[in-house]
Amino acid sequence: MAIIAEVDRKSPTRRKRTRHITRWQVLRYHGKIALREPTTFIGVLAAIVFTYLIVVPVISIALDSVKVQLGHERRLSANAGDITLAYIDRVFFSPISQDLFWAPLVNTLTVAFGAISISVLIGGLVAWLLTRTDMPGRRWFATALIVPYMLPAWTFALAWTTLFKNRTVGGGLGWLEALGWAPPDWIAYGRVPIIIILALHYTPFVILLFGSAMKRFDSQLEDCARILGASRFQIGLRIILPLMRPALLSAIVLIFAKCLGEFGVPYVLGLPVHFDVLSTSLFRSIASRQSGAAGVLASAIMIIGVLTLLMDTWLVREARRFVTVGSKGSMNRRSRLGKWRAIATGFAGLLFLVSVGAPILTLFLSTVMKIPALFTLDNFTFDFWIGRDLETVGFPNGVLLSPDLWRAAYNTLTIVGLAAATSGIMGLLVGYIVVRSPMRLLALFLRQVTFFPYLVPGIAFAAAYLSLFAVSRGPVPALYGTVAILVLALIADQMPYASRAGISAMTQLGKDPEEAAQVAGAGWLRRMLFIVVPIQKGSLVTGILLPFISGIKGLSLFVILAVPSTDVLTTFSLRLIDYHYTQAANAVVLIIAAIAYFGTIAAQRLTKTNLAEGLGN
Amino acid sequence: MPSIHINGANKSYGSKMANAVTDLDLEIGDGEFMCLLGPSGCGKTTTLRMIAGLENLSGGEIRVGDRLVDSIQEGVFVPPENREMGLVFQSYALWPHMTIERNTDFGLRLRKIPKAEREQRVNDIMKALDIAKYRDRYPSQLSGGQQQRVALARMLAVNPTVLLLDEPLSNLDARLRLEMRAELKRIHAEFKTTIVFVTHDQWEAMTLATTIAVMNGGTLQQIGSPNDIYNRPANRFVAEFVGTPPMNIIEGGSKSDDLFQQASSFVATRLRVQSEIGSIGIRPETIQLAQSIDQIPPDSFHNRVTVTGVLPTGGSWIVEAKTASATLFPTMQSAPNLRPGDGAYLWISPDAFHVFDRAGNRLTDADEVFRRPTN
Repeated sequence: MAIIAEVDRKSPTRRKRTRHITRWQVLRYHGKIALREPTTFIGVLAAIVFTYLIVVPVISIALDSVKVQLGHERRLSANAGDITLAYIDRVFFSPISQDLFWAPLVNTLTVAFGAISISVLIGGLVAWLLTRTDMPGRRWFATALIVPYMLPAWTFALAWTTLFKNRTVGGGLGWLEALGWAPPDWIAYGRVPIIIILALHYTPFVILLFGSAMKRFDSQLEDCARILGASRFQIGLRIILPLMRPALLSAIVLIFAKCLGEFGVPYVLGLPVHFDVLSTSLFRSIASRQSGAAGVLASAIMIIGVLTLLMDTWLVREARRFVTVGSKGSMNRRSRLGKWRAIATGFAGLLFLVSVGAPILTLFLSTVMKIPALFTLDNFTFDFWIGRDLETVGFPNGVLLSPDLWRAAYNTLTIVGLAAATSGIMGLLVGYIVVRSPMRLLALFLRQVTFFPYLVPGIAFAAAYLSLFAVSRGPVPALYGTVAILVLALIADQMPYASRAGISAMTQLGKDPEEAAQVAGAGWLRRMLFIVVPIQKGSLVTGILLPFISGIKGLSLFVILAVPSTDVLTTFSLRLIDYHYTQAANAVVLIIAAIAYFGTIAAQRLTKTNLAEGLGN
Repeated sequence: MPSIHINGANKSYGSKMANAVTDLDLEIGDGEFMCLLGPSGCGKTTTLRMIAGLENLSGGEIRVGDRLVDSIQEGVFVPPENREMGLVFQSYALWPHMTIERNTDFGLRLRKIPKAEREQRVNDIMKALDIAKYRDRYPSQLSGGQQQRVALARMLAVNPTVLLLDEPLSNLDARLRLEMRAELKRIHAEFKTTIVFVTHDQWEAMTLATTIAVMNGGTLQQIGSPNDIYNRPANRFVAEFVGTPPMNIIEGGSKSDDLFQQASSFVATRLRVQSEIGSIGIRPETIQLAQSIDQIPPDSFHNRVTVTGVLPTGGSWIVEAKTASATLFPTMQSAPNLRPGDGAYLWISPDAFHVFDRAGNRLTDADEVFRRPTN
């Protein structure tokens, strides 16, 4: 019987038929498949480009630190390019190592940990008030208190100098001095104000991290402890705090990494009293053409950065152990503040005033007043914005009428715009390759290499670019002073965010829509043009807009790589600060802050996301 | 309409993982409605995607008609876009940025069909599937059932040589699923397309397929008509996977099992089964209950049981019946006049036994005795 024969044939005991396939046949088959679509080709090309834009500069600056630099042949009695330990010795062990590395290191650490302690304390408290209590106005505060994070940190540094400046540096009077009290140096400059400003800047970051952790926190865990007889204090200490530990550690590590690369704030507030942190020390080395020492410093900063973020990945992995299983009971019951309500609201209001209201208002007022802190009507003027023939040496017109501003704005728009558009598109492409490529190794490499700049503080990365592109190498001409170096550095700097966004967008899209088109008969190009890009339009726009905003705020890349002819808004305002044109500088900074703020809002509208998502609900 | 030949197909993801598909041989005839049936992870979707060209082979070859479309030995791989097939995804995968009409005529546009002909064809298809009134809407504005129809229309529009369906009904509610099944049967009759349909739902496979291929763990277990699969399961896996409630199995354990001893000696003598018996299966609806021994036909196997539970399911009743050594679950089409604690007799007619060897494969000796009709 036919059926029986067939049943027999399918029985598991049947002889396993194996036809031998040679390795060459497998290779030919997969090669054919890989080469059939341009994905592999584009992937390899992208891997080469990013290796050159990201890995090579880093290697170049690391090599700078152990090679005799041009002009030092005599002093080191060796040929340029020879291996030497002189720079490492100079930075770490010589008599001036104290000024070059050790003092800046100590300053960086104290500033970072000062800022971390304050922001964790304030941010943790605010996060709790927003998510777990019945404080009035939570929803408004949830958005308002995030604002400092959208603005460049050194906006606040400028506001600080406007208020607290003393005679240690020239230029117009500080407001407090104009009112009759000259603040001492330790309040006006250096460690204390830097700590305060960085703390205020990173508080929103803590609010966001803690807030989302607290929102997910299951009230039943507290209820159980209470039923078992724990007091409120014991619950806080034994239940909530340990469960918050991952968020806490994560906040500490990430803020530390950000402080490490922070340049604007210590530059504005540290310079007058020679308070150096690692980033400003690196800047000084570059400015004084000590490229060997700069190489050592940049490498040191990079190593600290990489170690910090490795620690974060390790902590995140550790934290998985703590993941509380969400249940239907993950409702979040709010504590009643009772008589503390007014105090809590006052505290939140005060924080908003100090971290947003006062700085922005100060900056704005400073640009419309002739004499600092003189509040009479005839002292107010819009000359610094739109005036002509002002009585200053180098800046005769109001900011808005100054061709320099418009040139800087144009440069910003073109340089940052070009870089943002490129990195947005590259990000989506990288996402596509990472998710789709049949070559796993290529996908892995692209994912890692585009993420690498995240580990390197911007200022060190800029130094690396300087090291690679300052002179012509092979077919690549010297790029220093050109727009190209800024665009390339910005692209590389933004790739972590762009490629992350691209990868997650492509992962979310899934394979199905594209495969449906493929089965319907569409080749690669048609699938890209008619299916992938139209569907990803939204994330592509965000992928361009977000790098654009962060590029406009960015300072550390530009301050090293820009020259006066490629001035962007940030470096332009820094130059104005250096010349003590306080009003003009503040006006430019306000313009940058406005662009950053409204850009962020626009991006949130566009993507229908909200940084403060549900925090106050 | 071509037939599909899969010869010794293998698929593995990386060397450490188990094969997704192992040494698969499958012939899908022209105009057939073939269901690939199996639990999740059995390799049925992988098989479907290999036919479509969305997965590469790790060994073996696939032919569509006379055309070799995939072979490592020959170094041939025809990409999905050139295979002229249609595939309906479980998620439907409608393009969210296109209207229903654009979704439907996408393939026709790619093939540069003249406008008049294209519109004619799209209209016909939309009318046939009752989605013409939604032509200017976007997929997100349609319900699941409507989206399903669009996904079908999109693939049918290009007149595919083979229509592949990957669990297309699993996201629909029960009523819609029934309607769509009827629809699919109608489409199969009307368009005379070869259809390969992946499902884990045995009901769906039974009601739709002309041929069912049951898969498990990446290997083909049995291929045959729905009737074959149900009445002559090739092994324990097929026997237990197909049928609800599942087949009752009397295991031949090492301990002396009264029921197994009795049943196997009955089977051995009555059905002339000579090989060693590993286990015996009986479909629940073929187990009868009787209150006294004289109601039992003389020829049948019977045993005393105690009723320990009666579970009404609406249209039928499942009875929990215990013998001295085992528990069986017969189903009754009418309310059994029994309560928990009652004693009764179960009886099974000789042709209702499925006999398996130690390895779980069907012993076909018994089938010879009755020559059950096959189709």
